[in-house]
Amino acid sequence: MNLSAKGGGSGFNPVLIILGGAIVLVGGYLISLLSPSLFPVAASAEAGPIDQLFRVMLFLGGVVFMLVEGLLIISIVRFRARKGETGDGANFNGNVMLEVIWTVIPAIVVVFITLYSYQVWVDIRAPKSDELVIDAVGQRFVWNFSYTDPLERLTDYPTQTFSDTVLHTYVGRPIRLKMQSRDVNHAFWVPTMRIKQDLLAGRETEIGFTPTVAGRYRVVCAELCGSGHGAMYSYIQVYATEQEWLERFIDPKVDFIVNPPTDPVALGEVTLVSGRDGRAYPCSGCHVLDAIGWAGLTGPSLNGIGDTADRRAQSNGLADSADYIAQSLRHPNSYTVPGYTNGVMPQFGAAEIEPETVDGAYYMYMTTEDLVNIVSYLCMQTATGESACGDIDAITAAVETQSQ
Amino acid sequence: MASISVPMPGAQAAPRPRLSEYLRWSVDHKIIGTQYMVTALFFFLIGGGLAMLIRWELLTPALDFSPTGSAYNSLFTMHATVMIFLWIIPFWAGIGNYIVPLQLGAKDMAFPWLNAFAFWLIIPAGALMLAGYFVGPPEAGWTSYPPLSVLFSGDGQTLWIISLHMLGISSILGSINFIVTIKNMRPESMGWFQMPLFVWSQLATSLIQILGVPFLAGGLTLLLLDRVAGTAFFDPSRGGDVLVWQNIFWFYSHPAVYVMVLPGMGVLSEVISVHSRKPIFGYKAIAFSSMGIALVGFTVWAHHMFTSLSPELRLPFMVTSFIIAIPTGIKIFSWIATMWGGKIRFNSAMLFSVGFLSQFVIGGITGMMLGAIPIDIHLHDTYFVVSHFHFVLFGGSVFAIYSSIYHWFPKVTGRMLNERLGKIHFYSTYFAFFFTFFPQHLVGMQGMPRRVAEYAPEFQILNIIISISAFVLGISTFVILFNMGWSLNHGEIAGPNPWRALTLEWQTSSPPPSYNFKGEVVPFEDPYGYGTEASRVYLDEMEKRLTPANLLGKGGDSGAGASPEPMTGD
Repeated sequence: MNLSAKGGGSGFNPVLIILGGAIVLVGGYLISLLSPSLFPVAASAEAGPIDQLFRVMLFLGGVVFMLVEGLLIISIVRFRARKGETGDGANFNGNVMLEVIWTVIPAIVVVFITLYSYQVWVDIRAPKSDELVIDAVGQRFVWNFSYTDPLERLTDYPTQTFSDTVLHTYVGRPIRLKMQSRDVNHAFWVPTMRIKQDLLAGRETEIGFTPTVAGRYRVVCAELCGSGHGAMYSYIQVYATEQEWLERFIDPKVDFIVNPPTDPVALGEVTLVSGRDGRAYPCSGCHVLDAIGWAGLTGPSLNGIGDTADRRAQSNGLADSADYIAQSLRHPNSYTVPGYTNGVMPQFGAAEIEPETVDGAYYMYMTTEDLVNIVSYLCMQTATGESACGDIDAITAAVETQSQ
Repeated sequence: MASISVPMPGAQAAPRPRLSEYLRWSVDHKIIGTQYMVTALFFFLIGGGLAMLIRWELLTPALDFSPTGSAYNSLFTMHATVMIFLWIIPFWAGIGNYIVPLQLGAKDMAFPWLNAFAFWLIIPAGALMLAGYFVGPPEAGWTSYPPLSVLFSGDGQTLWIISLHMLGISSILGSINFIVTIKNMRPESMGWFQMPLFVWSQLATSLIQILGVPFLAGGLTLLLLDRVAGTAFFDPSRGGDVLVWQNIFWFYSHPAVYVMVLPGMGVLSEVISVHSRKPIFGYKAIAFSSMGIALVGFTVWAHHMFTSLSPELRLPFMVTSFIIAIPTGIKIFSWIATMWGGKIRFNSAMLFSVGFLSQFVIGGITGMMLGAIPIDIHLHDTYFVVSHFHFVLFGGSVFAIYSSIYHWFPKVTGRMLNERLGKIHFYSTYFAFFFTFFPQHLVGMQGMPRRVAEYAPEFQILNIIISISAFVLGISTFVILFNMGWSLNHGEIAGPNPWRALTLEWQTSSPPPSYNFKGEVVPFEDPYGYGTEASRVYLDEMEKRLTPANLLGKGGDSGAGASPEPMTGD
């Protein structure tokens, strides 16, 4: 074996090496210029350093890309066997200097990007003062965020928290999300803010970030959670100022608790849309209901549920629509709609116990009052717009039967 | 046409085993290797078909092609499982089975019966996996994180667990066989550092398998008990913990990536050296980097958990993940240096190896990006990751598999593959691959998560480009399948050593007789010693010795069968 030969006819010309190095570096730099156009708008304080780190990595990656592809192309052009050539190539099989170079330089680069990534990681994790703490719940296939009134107007009311499926906040205020899953694992991801954290069954996880640009951005579930995973998204609404946040989000929520409407149909709608008194239900994750913009994929459609419930009540020997709807919430596996699977819909029971699995289905507590309101609202979903059920007393009676 | 050694006029290919030999229990490593490879190709078609259905669904932002979200989830779950456990891993086991004993000059693997047993586990395991479709397919992703995989996945999930158990046993048995064969069955004159690098890569792969699979098996057993026996290892409401599964799963499944890539790197070392007509550059560095990758590969698993692991624990895994880049870089530069100064013959085998280099480097670069915690926080579980690992596993592993098919098909069948079809296959696959997977980086960065059937409408245009490219990629597969089928009987007769390669599998007839070698086997002193007078003399000598008359003649120790003295350089 001949270790010393540097290769017949393939010697290295220093000018070419410097020229090649310059081309590779400039190429890497040009590639790194693409970086800003690859990401969506950077709407958080964390996005800046992360994007900058990506840009540096794209530069380094661009250099490696240019170097490897460039050498490949040169090899292909220079060293391909011409027609009729049958001989062998040069006999050299190593070069200590070269091997040291391509071990040591990557090692130095690795040390650099480790330190740099570590620095960015420490920066974006540093706790901020004056964090707005929001409890987030992920549940198949819906998000829910609960708040307390920053002005403490609800101290005398039985429930001091209220919730919404949209995360409302404002520019410049650091947020800390305390996240829990009611069932399987999920992940909270806001692409425009570059932050992501898994929600783990049985653990509380948290993440902090600071929105910096007003707007409405998608919140995406990034961990597979089942059939409706792709539909498990919501929004983060970032108001320009704290004042706007208070006026447009907090005050109406507080007002609703202080002066609740008395109409059960209106109460039912609010309960379904954003929850009530700190209790929120995940119905929108699976069902379709055009009237309030639900577009779930997993469960039967609730469009015209008043009429449907009437028919299904008759064919199943139940008293009326109200009875059927209440039954479907309290004991969802009793009259599963043909074509759908048992055990997917949570059971909304009357006993106030911690969420857990009951007979293979998730269990959630639903108050009798909420159930009455929800049934009242759903009974209104008919072709004629008339309620498919009786008056409030009849509905209450039906609900109470099912709640025993 | 790159064939250099021209078969004698009127020469027949050496006789092939009858078809029936392949359909029954056989302890011949060449039959078993072929059984593995053909079985794997069958599952490749199934996995590919599932991929086509996935891409069809993703033509539109709404869930419309799949009847339910669950049905879509089962598509990518089965696609990944089939491709990993029933296509790439068994194919490497197959080509390893066929080639490793030949490269070592051995008559068979160390444990022929065990070898057959390991293969025959694949068939029922594959059947069980597919049977999931009759009982409710698994739909929790190939990672099968609980509680989803325990609570919301069909009974096929249980079959999935049992099937993976069987495949795991098969892998462990196969790996033990490789390790013992490589350790014990080399010819006397072949030291550790005269072994072909493909053998080194199989050794590294086997070590990973026997160290890693038991962990997966343990995790699978716990998952099985949670599903069928009411235990709560992963159920937090009764004291279990969901992160335990993630740790166990990735402790095996990250090294499994190297199980799929290292043999491909072994193929590259063979193909690039032979077809560049040049010694491999930095033999020891490549051999040690395989072992280095295997070792460090066991310390990086939690980079798959950067968004679930507690933040303080993430850092060490970032460091180890970055370190993997160093041995990988050494290999890539060594292969380029091998081509440098060569007389490169761009046949289909070489094209796919060069294709591997040019695409794999992109997978390496994106791997580094994902290794950085702050970047991974954004890109985790997005299409960026999907793109990254397809650059590694398709642009890497599958390109290497194609390369190995073009390189060794003549040895296995005695016939050359058609070069024109090979080039059509290469160029269509190369570009369709790139346009299928490169745009996935962009949708991922923009905000599209993986494993969704419905996505934000602004991603539709890129998804249409991806899907159309994927359909072309799917169709391109049939070019090589047709080529193999046609060439089996109509290809040019290969002769023993069509590439004039120095490794031992070429120093016998194509296909080799059941006893592999006639007479004593004497390897050339350097398996990659191209470009020397000694290697030319050795190859000429072998060519004379391996004439059809001598190959088909009786008796193993006649004059014609006498081994030439190993030649020394200079």
